[in-house]
Amino acid sequence: MSAVTPRTAAPAQTRHRGLRVVRWTFLSILGLYFLVPQLAMARFAFQNVPVVLLDASTLFSKWSVSSLLNALAQPALWDAAKTSAILAALAVVLDLALLLPLAILAEIRAPRLRPVLSALTLLPWVIPPIALVVGVAATFRPVAPWFLTSTLSLVPFYAIWAMPFTYRALDSGLRAINARTLVEAARSLGASVPMVLFRVLVPNLSASIVAASGLTAALVLGEFAFASLLLKDTLPTYLVNYQRDSPQAGMALALAVMVLTALALGAVVHMLRRRGLGMSTTGF
Amino acid sequence: MATIEMIGVRKTFGTTVALADLHLRVESGEMVCLLGPSGCGKTTALRLLAGFEQPDAGHILVDGEDVTRVSPRHRGFGMVFQDYSLFPNLTGRQNIAFGLKVRRKGALETAETVDRLLAVTRLEKHADKYPHQMSGGQRQRVALARAIATEPRLLLLDEPLSALDAQVREHLRDEIRRLQQEVGVTTVFVTHDQHEAMAVADRVAVMRDGVLEQIDPPRVLYSRPASQFVAGFVGTVNRLSAEQAVDGAWFVLGEKVEAVGDAAPVTADGAAVAADAPPKHAVVRPEQLHVNRAESGAGPVARLVALSFLGAFTRAVIEHPTEGLVTADVLGEAADGLAVGDAVAVSVRPGAGAVVLQ
Repeated sequence: MSAVTPRTAAPAQTRHRGLRVVRWTFLSILGLYFLVPQLAMARFAFQNVPVVLLDASTLFSKWSVSSLLNALAQPALWDAAKTSAILAALAVVLDLALLLPLAILAEIRAPRLRPVLSALTLLPWVIPPIALVVGVAATFRPVAPWFLTSTLSLVPFYAIWAMPFTYRALDSGLRAINARTLVEAARSLGASVPMVLFRVLVPNLSASIVAASGLTAALVLGEFAFASLLLKDTLPTYLVNYQRDSPQAGMALALAVMVLTALALGAVVHMLRRRGLGMSTTGF
Repeated sequence: MATIEMIGVRKTFGTTVALADLHLRVESGEMVCLLGPSGCGKTTALRLLAGFEQPDAGHILVDGEDVTRVSPRHRGFGMVFQDYSLFPNLTGRQNIAFGLKVRRKGALETAETVDRLLAVTRLEKHADKYPHQMSGGQRQRVALARAIATEPRLLLLDEPLSALDAQVREHLRDEIRRLQQEVGVTTVFVTHDQHEAMAVADRVAVMRDGVLEQIDPPRVLYSRPASQFVAGFVGTVNRLSAEQAVDGAWFVLGEKVEAVGDAAPVTADGAAVAADAPPKHAVVRPEQLHVNRAESGAGPVARLVALSFLGAFTRAVIEHPTEGLVTADVLGEAADGLAVGDAVAVSVRPGAGAVVLQ
């Protein structure tokens, strides 16, 4: 054996090293693909240098956050941000109100319905936003035109749009905590239905609920098609318009929003990890 | 403490009959084990008792009161699940207190009860741990304490030990029995492990295909099994041919034995065996047999084909010329002189107790 081991180990080590090189090469290419445009955006947004002069020689000249400060000074930005925050909060509430009882009922009473529900929640993604909006507009204009003029008319669209993420997060959370026997245990100890829901299920699903809410909020904060088609002033539509008028400040704002969103999602993931709730319990 | 009755209970799932027509009475303070292979209906029976399923027919009575349609939360039963089912967001102490809080017991009373249960289940050191910080045995002890905290009328245990490893299982099994006797709670314990059932139960109910085959104290079940299935399920058995002499005495392996079971097929005057009497068999346990080396002589002989040392005894498998494979237990050092391939003589040990006729 001792004579054989070194001979077989050497090629294995080489192969292992080879795999590592391939892995790092791919990761580096992907990283560059992602980072280079961001860096270019950052230079464009935060260097007060004419675009044609943005080359290696000007890499360190005239960096400034004045464009971002300009963008932040626009009152319309804060109105749009407020609208988007309200829309995100309402979409999260509506989504959870619809899907939490549904997912729980499916898990406990009809587990066989689960794949059906999972497929149904994906349905809105099959229809392009323009078709969805035209369809809804044609339906509501004659009977309830006020629904389309209100900014809040976006809430049901966003709730439906976020369903696949919310449902999957809740469904895998329910499976991970073995909801069925938890409910049975609570019932046999004398707990009423609200008690089962709020003292047993919701606390143990908190990771899934946070994940679902975070994703829904991120989706709403970045959604452009519905808001634009329905002529609403949300953060994404504001960003697009503002960028058209002042490209540099618009770019600075877009970058700031992106970094903030990434930090917020990172914080959520970190919080879930610290509570020992990995991706498996949240579905992502 | 309460007397539990299941009367003519029937339950089907689609075309599968889980319970055919179950009649079961559990006396106050008694511990009954439902024993059987998977799919025999024992878990269904337990879930019907708990109220998680509704029977298609029949009634469930607690102290004569019909609870068939009463919801699980109003039955006042305690239940322990195979996978513990502790609330992951609550500590051991909070889990045990859950049922008391639901019943709006005072803080002082709750704390006293929880402390007492933590002491009897020896969990004081682990009271403030969360379930994921506990071992399987600790979790199941919390589950047990949680189930008895509310002083249930009936305690239901659904294979509570099957997720644990062998040593913990045996220890916890004895602890469950001790607690059950201390508290005096009527208990139904579901298991597929015959040793577990025999060790803890006052009576064992053996089930098969949705039917109750026999319910008796463990000793009776072992020595007087009502059917071949029960005999085989509660320990190893040999099915040997039994013959009856004209005087009514029974012979197994050529020796006169004490026999119990079916009525002897003798005619009314006791003179002769009926010619068309069905062939009789005797159920003989391995420890009722005696094995010793035989000198190989003329004619077919029994041969030892396998020996396994099991501590207090050695199990011998013998190829018998007329009975086929026979299993016998050889006690202590008597097995030292035996080797696989030996020609042996098998007989019923004198004074080994009655064999069961079938």
